[in-house]
Amino acid sequence: MTYFKLSMRNAGRQARDYLVYFVTMVLAAALLFAFNALAVSGEVLALTEISESFSLMIVLASLAVVCVFGWLAAYSTRFMLSRRSRELGIYLLSGLTGRQVARLFFLENLAVGAVALVLGTGLGGLLYQVMRAIVMAMFAQPYRFALEFSLAALGRTALYFALIYLFALGRSRRHIRRMKIYDLIYFERQNEGVILQKGKTRRLVFGVSLALGAVGTCLLMRKSLYIALAGAFCAILALFGFFLSFASGVPAFFERRPARKYRGQTLLIFRGLTAKLASMGVLMAVLSIVFTATLISEGSSSVLYGIMKGRTAEAACFDLYIGIEGGQPDPEPYLTYIRENIPVERELLYSVCLTGKTQVQDYLEGAYYNNGYDSDPVLCWSDYAALRALAGYPAVEPPGSGQFLIHCMSYLAGPLGKYQEALLVGETALSPGGIYTEHLSQSYGTANGRGYILVVPDRAAEGLPVHHIAYAAKTARPVTTAQYEALADLARAERDRQEDPSGYVFVLSKAYEETEVAAQAVVGCFPLYYLALALMMTAVTILTIQQLSETEHYRSQFALLRKLGMDRREMARALGSQFALYYTLPAVPAVLIAGSFIVHLAMMPEPGVMVGLNSPAVIVMISLGAFFLIYAIYILLAYTSLKRNVLPK
Amino acid sequence: MLQVQNIEKYYGSKNNVTKALDRVSFEVADGEFVAIMGASGSGKTTLLNCISTIDTVSAGKILMDGEDVAGLSEDVLAKFRRERLGFVFQDFNLLDTLTVEENIGLALSLNHVGAQTVQGRVREVAEKLGITEILSKFPYQVSGGQKQRTACARAIVAGQSLLLADEPTGALDSKASKNLLEIMSAMNRDMRATILMVTHDAYSASYAGRVLFLKDGRVFNELLRGDRGRSVFYHEILDVLAALGGDVSDIL
Repeated sequence: MTYFKLSMRNAGRQARDYLVYFVTMVLAAALLFAFNALAVSGEVLALTEISESFSLMIVLASLAVVCVFGWLAAYSTRFMLSRRSRELGIYLLSGLTGRQVARLFFLENLAVGAVALVLGTGLGGLLYQVMRAIVMAMFAQPYRFALEFSLAALGRTALYFALIYLFALGRSRRHIRRMKIYDLIYFERQNEGVILQKGKTRRLVFGVSLALGAVGTCLLMRKSLYIALAGAFCAILALFGFFLSFASGVPAFFERRPARKYRGQTLLIFRGLTAKLASMGVLMAVLSIVFTATLISEGSSSVLYGIMKGRTAEAACFDLYIGIEGGQPDPEPYLTYIRENIPVERELLYSVCLTGKTQVQDYLEGAYYNNGYDSDPVLCWSDYAALRALAGYPAVEPPGSGQFLIHCMSYLAGPLGKYQEALLVGETALSPGGIYTEHLSQSYGTANGRGYILVVPDRAAEGLPVHHIAYAAKTARPVTTAQYEALADLARAERDRQEDPSGYVFVLSKAYEETEVAAQAVVGCFPLYYLALALMMTAVTILTIQQLSETEHYRSQFALLRKLGMDRREMARALGSQFALYYTLPAVPAVLIAGSFIVHLAMMPEPGVMVGLNSPAVIVMISLGAFFLIYAIYILLAYTSLKRNVLPK
Repeated sequence: MLQVQNIEKYYGSKNNVTKALDRVSFEVADGEFVAIMGASGSGKTTLLNCISTIDTVSAGKILMDGEDVAGLSEDVLAKFRRERLGFVFQDFNLLDTLTVEENIGLALSLNHVGAQTVQGRVREVAEKLGITEILSKFPYQVSGGQKQRTACARAIVAGQSLLLADEPTGALDSKASKNLLEIMSAMNRDMRATILMVTHDAYSASYAGRVLFLKDGRVFNELLRGDRGRSVFYHEILDVLAALGGDVSDIL
């Protein structure tokens, strides 16, 4: 049999024995292809100018992803090498040289990589279509399925894949060529040596790491970034300490409480777990850190998108809005441009006035982050009703003759809902009559109040000082980028023409802002998710390879337990518990650390932005949901395979 | 205690049937030490597997204290194994992730014995078998003989009524073998343990009170030790083995 044939036969066996690894490498190729196809797609790049930087971001993210998958490939080939060292030793015993054995192993892995690349590229083509559809939806553009194959994306994917494999195989090749027959045949004995190590130091480290972990998590909950960083550092130290000492810490715990280990299946579960962890403490700590990085990537991406989305939802709730500040605000140049260029269905030119008093501002002191007005801002009822209609909100009852309404951002609904004092607006005394919280462009100074605005009867608003005038419109078609930019240029020109440019003109277009959000999301969030997926898949694959490599050990253990009279249900329960603990251990610290970090991050923007679907709680839940979905798929596959193979029939 | 009545065991499919056991019948009384001897392929391990309920018989009955084990469900069989049977295997079959103490305690833990009483029971049996010193060690830290004594302790700690030993000295050197066999004799004599031991070693069998010889799946002969010395019994066993027709060196 030629080396080539032997290599190909071994490649087939490797794909079967390490199916999880093979599937992950197929998915890795699919991810690389899909994201790179997106980055070179003329259709996507034509969507907006910012998308040009998308291509660069994907290249940078791809390099990081190559490092991550390179680590996975290097770890897996080294792991396979250790498990098959006896077989490789026998090749040497049979007369093959180290160089020939290394080539055999190299060819085998290259074949697996090539098949993964081919399958992954096919799958990546489908994934690209899904992502293309998402991007087009984000830009409110029609999606049409079209079979297309990007040679540039294929070239990039092949290059990245070659880097991944060459890095991993180069290392193992050097390793095999250096190893002696004895080392290969007795490789497993070397692993056993690690398990034997234990001692008082480890027990001490175990206790200290638990304390450090608790302190680190508490520090992460603090709002100061520096304290949070110190917390993260403590948490990382705690992770290494915990996983390095777990194998002796748990037995030490049971030594002090000997009776507890015989309760239920504790003995089997914890001894099995500690034996496994004794040889992979550093790896577990690293995997836990990788999980943390995954969650932070996902969470940061969601927070970033949430900030953009939240700000835009509030600010750009009208198809077109122009706020004109200044001593003598003149809307005419804008109105002229609009009449000539933008078809408008409905429009409103109105004034935002001031009460001249700071009664509500004073009431909100502490809750109100930045008032931006000298006194409480006011809208007259008829303008407010028209604005609601322009924004597409349901009509509401007008305030009674002696009442005023409040329209505010949702974060102020709590305190303002309790506001009971009467107001003196001009000459009219008004009492609170209701509160509304839909988006009404209230996050800027030249908008409909900053955070809140008081809505008073038209008569009460007469004669109040004007803060700025505003124009809002519902357009027949979305305002184009060119139209938006023309209005923005007009605003700059008007400002330049003023002798004393104290005024400020604020132009907002819903379509333009949404495009900006989509562009920033594609540029900022897609690469983060790309990296998160690579990190997640790598870490969970390594965990699963480690677990499935114990199949033989589990099989003999459960065969013995069957003879000793353990029933199948109890065996399944013991295996399930051991499995659950094994996968829970690295995930729990990651959830605690990253969860705290994401919450902290999501609370950093100005109030009123991270609300509703963008609230910190929802973002953490979405990040955890995405994380655990992928985690659960791998766990389920591994558990099903292990249960089928190790539990006696 | 144990009645084996005309059991038969077939392996294979329609066109290729192998008869591993052929109308085997015998009884083991409470407190007896019985050895089953035979060459490789004579059916002795199959017989032990059927008695231990790991395998099922094709025909015949196995009664344990008058109860037919064939009619029991898988759950009841599991309970039966953990409460009534103790096992000692050639390759020890200890869990290498558990200490010696925990390996012994496992049998009690499976029987849902209260966690508080496990340690006391384990220590009590360990003292009798002379392995108190190694209780905190892991299997890879103790000798083969100590491992096998650990297995013996596990086999009786839960008060199991029948100890089934499959080539218990197979992986031990002669000194450790002798030591183990003396311990098994003491368990039989002092603790009234009923032992059924499968072996192809005449020396091991000579420690039993009765030896059954299997050949081609059938009971070929039976030898009772009676009041004779172990050395005399040993030579009688050798004589029977010679009469079995095989090459004695094959089974020694």
